[in-house]
Amino acid sequence: MTKNQLNAYIALLAAQAVVISMFENAIPFPFAVAPGAKLGLANIITCMALYTLSTKDTLKVLTIRLILATLLGGTISTFMYSAAGIVLSFLGMWLVKKLGPDRVSLIGVSATGAILHNVGQLVVASWIAQTWTVLLYLPVLSFAGILAGIAIGIMANYLLNHVEKLHNYRRLRELNE
Amino acid sequence: MSSYLKMIKRWDIIIVTILVLISFLPFTIFSVVQAKSNNDPNNINVAVISVDNKVVKRIVLTGNVKTQQFDVHDLGGDCNTIEVKKNRIRVKSADCPDQNCVLTGFISKPGQTIVCLPHRVVIEIKSNHEPSQDIIVSS
Repeated sequence: MTKNQLNAYIALLAAQAVVISMFENAIPFPFAVAPGAKLGLANIITCMALYTLSTKDTLKVLTIRLILATLLGGTISTFMYSAAGIVLSFLGMWLVKKLGPDRVSLIGVSATGAILHNVGQLVVASWIAQTWTVLLYLPVLSFAGILAGIAIGIMANYLLNHVEKLHNYRRLRELNE
Repeated sequence: MSSYLKMIKRWDIIIVTILVLISFLPFTIFSVVQAKSNNDPNNINVAVISVDNKVVKRIVLTGNVKTQQFDVHDLGGDCNTIEVKKNRIRVKSADCPDQNCVLTGFISKPGQTIVCLPHRVVIEIKSNHEPSQDIIVSS
């Protein structure tokens, strides 16, 4: 990959993530059981960045995505929630991915991301509300998170295997390691 | 379906299981803390009965073993019959039109209330510790 290609690819991923998350906000959530639970479709982008880019460039994608999403349709409080969620879920996904492709697949990585995203958001919520009873909501969210995470893992797996460019980038990344 | 199953590797299951267990951690801690504070002898629940915002009676519920019954009259002469049974309290009967207070039944936890709107009677359970409060978070 040349430098320009790399920059364009990073920008592309960030833009996709922003659009996907705005698109997702437009969908009313169908399950009244777990208010606050989301599909987390933007997680696909994080997974793909993690598997096709270096750690530093993945962080770039995430930062751009966070800032743009906030500017385009967020408030300071949503910024705090998503920042905590993104940082924590990235750390978790990165660590889980370190286990190696033989041990853990994209499904595990994305489920980890989904759950830790919830954890991060609830920690911030309980800090803002000054009570940690908010964390009692965690089991409900993490259950929804696992289901969404598995679905998104499967989706990202298909994308990485069947979109030629992504497939090649992944090869490239694995060769560099 | 088998192609989905093939994608899942062993560590996926291990990691997801661990994370699910972790997500129950706050719940466990909370119930342990709650159980402790319920057994705390320093924690005393008091039922405060007020009519028209004026406190008319205080009843210590913690450690109460008797059953007692009394009437509370409001300014118009209407009557609510209140019953205290061990550490619980309820409105046994009332001559109000909607009977909401009677249907509420027994209450025993700090923060719970029985309200009889037509008679302006409020029964609230207070604790000498900070009451846990419900919060609403919106983004």
